[in-house]
Amino acid sequence: MTAARIETSVADGSMRIALSGEIDLANAAAVEEEIREAVSHQPTTVSVDLTDLTYMDSAGVRILFALASQLQALRIVLELIVPPDSPTRRLVELSGFESLAALRPRSH
Amino acid sequence: MRYTPIMSTPGEPSNMSGIDDYRLRRIGSVADTALAHLDVEDLLVELLDRVRELLAVDTATVLLLDSSSQQLVAIAARGIEAVVRQGIRIPMGKGFAGRIAAEKRPVIIERVDHTNVLYPTLQEHGICSLLGVPLLSSGTLIGVLHVGTLATRRFTDNDVGLLQIVADRVALATQSRRAEVERVAAAVLQRSLLPARLPVVPGLELAARYVPAENGGVGGDWYDVFTLPSGWLCIVIGDVVGRGLAATDVMGRLRNALRAYALLGGDPTEVLGRLDQHVQHFEPEMMATVLLAMFEPSFERLHLSSAGHPPPVLALPDQRAALLDVPSDHPVGVPRGLRRRGTTITLPPGALLCLYTDGLVENRDTSLDAGLERLCESVVAGPVDTVCAKVMARLVGDDPPGDDIVMLAVRRQDSGEIGPLDLVVPALPWSLRDIRVAVRRWLSAADAAPRAVADLLIAVGEACTNAIEHAYGPGGGTVTVHIELQLPDVLATVRDTGRWRPPSGEGRGRGTLFMRNCSDDLRIDHGPTGTNVVIRRRLAGQAPQ
Repeated sequence: MTAARIETSVADGSMRIALSGEIDLANAAAVEEEIREAVSHQPTTVSVDLTDLTYMDSAGVRILFALASQLQALRIVLELIVPPDSPTRRLVELSGFESLAALRPRSH
Repeated sequence: MRYTPIMSTPGEPSNMSGIDDYRLRRIGSVADTALAHLDVEDLLVELLDRVRELLAVDTATVLLLDSSSQQLVAIAARGIEAVVRQGIRIPMGKGFAGRIAAEKRPVIIERVDHTNVLYPTLQEHGICSLLGVPLLSSGTLIGVLHVGTLATRRFTDNDVGLLQIVADRVALATQSRRAEVERVAAAVLQRSLLPARLPVVPGLELAARYVPAENGGVGGDWYDVFTLPSGWLCIVIGDVVGRGLAATDVMGRLRNALRAYALLGGDPTEVLGRLDQHVQHFEPEMMATVLLAMFEPSFERLHLSSAGHPPPVLALPDQRAALLDVPSDHPVGVPRGLRRRGTTITLPPGALLCLYTDGLVENRDTSLDAGLERLCESVVAGPVDTVCAKVMARLVGDDPPGDDIVMLAVRRQDSGEIGPLDLVVPALPWSLRDIRVAVRRWLSAADAAPRAVADLLIAVGEACTNAIEHAYGPGGGTVTVHIELQLPDVLATVRDTGRWRPPSGEGRGRGTLFMRNCSDDLRIDHGPTGTNVVIRRRLAGQAPQ
């Protein structure tokens, strides 16, 4: 069974969601649910850290798109942390996600 | 032939009648070839019938000492079979049989009552008088033989003497037959615990040899090869101290415990640490040496930890083999509380690792150092079966092995030798991970560039996801993945036998976009018998065109 880990932390009104492990069709719904529950505190910014995510396919990208539209409605800024050499960088680029959120090489 | 030793037995009654003499000879002939095929219980039943005839008694019972519980267990009875069927167990020193065992001398009870027997069974069967003697093997108590009568009987010294002679025969026969049965049982158990065939793992070649010791019985040597859900591959070789059924039995438990602990995750030092705790707690008298080697899913790196086990031999292509420098920690079962140490090595394609137990390198004529030297000379980075045959020929030769020998050779295949990968998995979301593990491993063995690996994982993953999501109804089906090298390309085919339904929902078409961008060439055929996706991607790193 595909396994992913979600860790959240809040600092200065900004929320960081660090994903690790793998995301595919088998666990996408569970991951999405967990992220949705985590983002209930109305932060000003949400940054999703994909640095330690070793695999993600279209099921994972779908979560990011859903999150983006949800946050947009709430006027919360979304950014993705994806280092240039990280395993999911290419997929994020291919998906055209840059139009929805800033891609950062590391958290600041 | 068998008559003489009976007559020369010390302490034998001198005033035997001719009939006693004849009957005693019948007892003496328990080693008859006619009885040779009987197992211990049947042999004892036959003997007990002869005892009843010899002493003109109604019941005869053999209880054997179960050394672990220090209880006497009724294992054969005539005239009073219930004691066996009821599984009667008598503690040392308690009751009639317990007293004989504790004092190692004959006991006579002329009138049975509740004060002198432990179980009511004897009384209920109307037994009035009892005579029992210890079963001794080289002075060690192994059980009790007793006879009983329904009418009151005063057993004479002659009766006691005769029964003791019979008991000595019974002890001898039981002991040797038991040893034989144990030997066979241990051999069967050992064979059943060792892998009947090694797992077929694309990218690795595996071969093993197991030869039991020729005399002195099999020991507790074992080896095991298994994969974990995480895609790691574990190779175990171990040696339980001791011989025979007991050692084999412990070996079986350690093997299963180690599998379970490996499933919990962690590196070899953690897994061996858990096994150590297990042995100290559940097998306090036991000790074992174990070497655990865990391959990363890519097979590129190998993590090892040794609990006092001889070091493996590593042969790199075109180099002389050498002992691998693995720190040897204390065997499992030794309370030391020290941290276990681990080693990580890189196993390049073509390299071979040889694991073994000490029986291979240590024997009567060869010192350990000489044995290890000879082993290193014999191991090469070649086909595993050839290496096993060569090592066994050089190190064992024609000599009967005095100790169990286990050897296991594992070789990482060269990218040129990689055969195609074929997978058939249920069209269910949780198959995706298994597919990725297998594909990642195959691509690593094929020496694919990291960029090509990442692309192919996505392309194959999306094709499989489509099949899982869209091909079948509630009845389900299977997804077939076939990957082969067509240098300089990798060709991956994903097939289902369902009816393709177009993706529905927002963003559902994204998978096809990813597939196209991650391959140099992509063909998707939706036919009446299913969907066929063919992905072509260069093995080298450059981005797809």
